[in-house]
Amino acid sequence: MSDTLVETPVPVEPARKRRNWAKIAGVAALLVVLVFFPVITGTEVAYLKAGQYVLIGVVGAVGLTLLVGQAGQLSLAHPFFLLVGAVSYAVLAGDAGESGDLVGLGLPPLVAMIGAVAICALVGLAFAPVSGRLRGIYLGVASLSLVFLGLYLGQSLDMLSGGTSSGRPPPTFEVFGFRFANTEPAPTIMGVAIQKQQRLWYLFLVIAIGSYLLARGAVRSRVGRAWRAVRDNEAAATAMGVRVWWSKAQAFTVSSAFAGMAGVLTALWLDLVKPDENEFIGTYSITVAIGYLAMVLIGGLGSIPGAVAGAVVVNGLPQLLTLGATEFGWFASAGAGGLSPVLVSAFVYGAAIVLVVLFEPGGLAAIGRRLTSRQGDRR
Amino acid sequence: MSAPADVRSDVSALAVDDVTLRFGGITALSEVSFTVEPGTVHALIGPNGAGKSSCFNVISGLYTPTAGRVRLGDLDLTGTAPHKLAALGVGRSFQNIALSPHSTVRDNVMLGRHVLTKGGFVTGGLRLPRTVRTERRHVARVEEICDFLGVADRLDVPVAALPYGDAKRVDIARALAVEPTILLLDEPAAGLNATETAEMGVTIRDLRDALGISVLLVEHDMGLVMGIADRVSVLDFGRLIADGPPAQVQSDPEVIRAYLGAEAE
Repeated sequence: MSDTLVETPVPVEPARKRRNWAKIAGVAALLVVLVFFPVITGTEVAYLKAGQYVLIGVVGAVGLTLLVGQAGQLSLAHPFFLLVGAVSYAVLAGDAGESGDLVGLGLPPLVAMIGAVAICALVGLAFAPVSGRLRGIYLGVASLSLVFLGLYLGQSLDMLSGGTSSGRPPPTFEVFGFRFANTEPAPTIMGVAIQKQQRLWYLFLVIAIGSYLLARGAVRSRVGRAWRAVRDNEAAATAMGVRVWWSKAQAFTVSSAFAGMAGVLTALWLDLVKPDENEFIGTYSITVAIGYLAMVLIGGLGSIPGAVAGAVVVNGLPQLLTLGATEFGWFASAGAGGLSPVLVSAFVYGAAIVLVVLFEPGGLAAIGRRLTSRQGDRR
Repeated sequence: MSAPADVRSDVSALAVDDVTLRFGGITALSEVSFTVEPGTVHALIGPNGAGKSSCFNVISGLYTPTAGRVRLGDLDLTGTAPHKLAALGVGRSFQNIALSPHSTVRDNVMLGRHVLTKGGFVTGGLRLPRTVRTERRHVARVEEICDFLGVADRLDVPVAALPYGDAKRVDIARALAVEPTILLLDEPAAGLNATETAEMGVTIRDLRDALGISVLLVEHDMGLVMGIADRVSVLDFGRLIADGPPAQVQSDPEVIRAYLGAEAE
């Protein structure tokens, strides 16, 4: 114990962290693989598409783990915000005279992307009066109503969503004149032409890494501490000067923005914006809500790296199995009523959740932590 | 706070002035008045159900009194939203440890810096050099506070892994991290053994001496109260029955009657 508690000016010294070289090498190796992934997959675009889908999951799951894990608000509304993001992008960037009744504002695609994310954030903020008053399973069920609202609105507002029969094409993404489309001639990296799918991979990769870093930073700073305090004890958070309702609203807003970005990417990935025909199966359905929840549970609630791992499992597995089915004839004998890639992966991540809850509530993140044996978690 | 001089000079008296608190037909507090003088340790005691917690909650803004005021110097705290009190220099600890169990000690105590810092999702998320520098300064101060409370060697440990006594100290460290002029301690010795209680008493006196802040504590442990309090207020059935130095209060027939149920002579 020191004798005095009087604040002394602290000399600002550079952080002397012990560098974990193994970790740095691992991250560097991962980055190299990710950057050269289009080269590795070459002309096998299906693998690239599978990878893109995982990156979409990363963006969405990172947003959801902030809300569910860090701020302690259960939400099943993620698919709704995906839908709002996708439709907003198509509407904001869409060409007005493009086709018939579709509404399009013709904004530059980058502006439209940012606008779509902002719209999702605002819609999330608008839900704050509900999300701030309910907790636990009650909030979960209330948020689920948004999925049904999305289903209804998507089907009834044809001029925005394109309708369930045909949908509408999302405008090609473009940054400062660089189009994420096939061009002739195309630039190449090590002999592999960088066409539309390769370009989208890099776009998704940059956004996923950006989302990851932003979330990591937030979790480590003031806003993350406030979220955890509100999650664990509202009275204590209040006594420390945290405005509880605002902190909750903020978490919902941020999470919705991440989901909105994932929605924009989904539109670009599918090359189509099309509302679902029913609430159970589809791009913006309850199944997707559960999938995102599975990602954050498997990864470990509140852990950002965990959310990434969860996205790899939940979004990667069905893609991989589907690829196996088409390329190598897995499930060939299945036929009607047999196993499908989607079904198998649902079983796998269902089992993964059960295992996590039973044996390692901290999820993949906790297992990773134990392997690298770093003390003190960041949850 | 940054002056090399040892104590704060901006500590003002906390006055509970004629406070009455009713819940429907039940009167929890009846015209209670006492003053926590600057730089003193003031204890609020009383038998179970005497209204100590109600009084504490009125001061910390959780309840709005039916009548009467709570003042900190010239500031009227009555009816102030509880989340605004920290910024006004009121720090409080909790009877049952109210920390985030999975977060580290450092992270928990850093929450106390919430009102002393700024920044939302984007500024925090970007980890701009300026944000990181500011944060480092606050972390250094937090580590200093933890050192004072004897938990500096536990900074990277999740609170859930701490012994109860250490967790109580972390809770107090967090209240101190607000840089309060008055520290409200809700049963700081609850759940502690005799040795830990004695150490807690020393710590409370030490921090009062080092910082010059006022401390108001609600406590059951008479040994602790009589040992460290400069002044004691006694509540019974929502009324203030005694208010004075420990020795005087201890021999007050009303107090003895309230505690032992004996007829006052």
